[in-house]
Amino acid sequence: MFGLTIGAILYLVSIGFAITFGTMKVINFAHGSIYALAVYFFMTSLPYVKNNFVVSLLIGIALVIPLSYLIEKYIIRYLYGESVHYAIIATYGVLFSTTDTIKWIWGTNPWPIIVPTRASIQLFDVTVPLYRIIIIGAAVAIFIALHLFFKKTIAGKVIVAALDDSVGVRCLGIDQFKYFSLVFVIGSALAGVGGILYSPIAAAEPYMGFRFVLLAFAVTLVGGMGNLTGAFISAFSLGMLIAMTARVLPRLSEMMVFVVMAVVLLLRKEEYE
Amino acid sequence: MMGKNRPGLFFSSVSSGKRSLVEIIIIAVLCILLSFYMGKHRVADFMIFCITVLSYDLIYGFMGHLTIGHMLYFGTGTYTAALFMKWVTPNPILGIVAGIVAGALLALIVGKLVIRTKGATFALVNMAFNYVGFFLVAYAWGNVTGGEDGMPSFTGPLGSFYLHRHPYWFFFVLFCLLLSFYLLKHFSASPFGIMVRSIRYSERRVRFLGYNSHYYKLVTFIIASSFAAFAGTLTAINYGYIAPDYISPLRNAEIIFANLIGGIGNIYGALIGGMVYMIIRDFLSIYVERWELVLGVVLVVTALRFRTGITGYIQKYL
Repeated sequence: MFGLTIGAILYLVSIGFAITFGTMKVINFAHGSIYALAVYFFMTSLPYVKNNFVVSLLIGIALVIPLSYLIEKYIIRYLYGESVHYAIIATYGVLFSTTDTIKWIWGTNPWPIIVPTRASIQLFDVTVPLYRIIIIGAAVAIFIALHLFFKKTIAGKVIVAALDDSVGVRCLGIDQFKYFSLVFVIGSALAGVGGILYSPIAAAEPYMGFRFVLLAFAVTLVGGMGNLTGAFISAFSLGMLIAMTARVLPRLSEMMVFVVMAVVLLLRKEEYE
Repeated sequence: MMGKNRPGLFFSSVSSGKRSLVEIIIIAVLCILLSFYMGKHRVADFMIFCITVLSYDLIYGFMGHLTIGHMLYFGTGTYTAALFMKWVTPNPILGIVAGIVAGALLALIVGKLVIRTKGATFALVNMAFNYVGFFLVAYAWGNVTGGEDGMPSFTGPLGSFYLHRHPYWFFFVLFCLLLSFYLLKHFSASPFGIMVRSIRYSERRVRFLGYNSHYYKLVTFIIASSFAAFAGTLTAINYGYIAPDYISPLRNAEIIFANLIGGIGNIYGALIGGMVYMIIRDFLSIYVERWELVLGVVLVVTALRFRTGITGYIQKYL
């Protein structure tokens, strides 16, 4: 069950990353800073709204959306079509500064966050905390919503087409950058949701953005680049893997993800860009 | 703008040993002059960092492969040297050799896995390996490496000669820097180095000409990692104390930044960048407490607007 929870979080965090990576070949480290900032905004707003989880979640997301829009407009947009190195360096710089800002404002100590509901459900013969079921439910709902978004709306269709062949879309005279900003913001917001939902299970600490960008990268790579359903499957399977390793070697559970990533890279003989 | 001062031509005329000698003397004199102004301890620190940047430039600048995992080899050198001097023999020279060998072996194993990838994947897979190394050192092998708290590293004398005390240590590090500079310069001017540079411009063409580009990339990766491990071993002796900070993937940003600010694909750029970065950091950390924040912002600006670095500007206006 823990594995499914982690898988759900991984899916939420990595979907935005996978879209930016798959369409524009931009590795977006700033994704991690959005993730961390959402959690810290959420945490700070909690006492002001009488510890109402949902309201704080909405506040956290609402604050993160304009930020991610600004990042897209002033940094990422200049990097589309450029050498991937500069994208990595620039967004890494963003992540570096935000991490330091977080350390500056909130300090380096981990902040524990209270689980909103302690209720649990009897499923067959195991007791499952309700909160985890909510997380998994949210991830599945978002997966379905995104699926509909990509199938039914124009913006979604443009993105799917661009994932397949970006140059072809441009040849049709479609201003794909407009849609990319939209999807970028959606992806960032989802990363924020994932971060906030995960924060009661783990504590908030300034460097979590770094960790989750790497995990998102591993999920994207294992799932196949530009393959959104693949990202869903790989997120859940890697989540299960983390949970299973955590039973045996608690400290090294996240390391296993990278081992799997290396194996996947080895098994796929073709070269990656 | 390009015409006369193409980066390729900047190196191709390096055939006379005389010019290298003049350059080495200039670097040595500048470092010694700087040590009068800033103190030997700090300049030794700067020079070690310059070796790291030089080694990084080999992968990023010459081979054109960005990696965010270079600290892994640096840290391997640091920890191997410290543990070797603790358990086997306190001889610093043997410790340095052990660190370099460990770094090279690790680079051989990891390089075999990662060298087939390129671009973003190469950068991030290396970062993932760096994280694995960091986890191992900081948590899994904590009882050996001192975990997150680090451990002291003890350096013994060579006979009756204390290498790790200033001023001997300063001149030894200076010698190491000049040696690395000389070796890497000759490497980049050699036929092998020219092949590596052509991989940067078009790997496909290199393969088309019948060369096994993976082999060239792997060897360059190992050489660069060995130099990083070399710098790591010097760090272990320099501070007398090691911590997981030296293997932390976060510190790669400093190296990338120093390399960018100096100018990539250029040995002089790596040297200038390393020195300039360390001096900036030294002064900045006095006045600004949040220098990481400033560093991040400058990194963004550099990547967007100031890509050629200092040597690029010098070449442009020369």
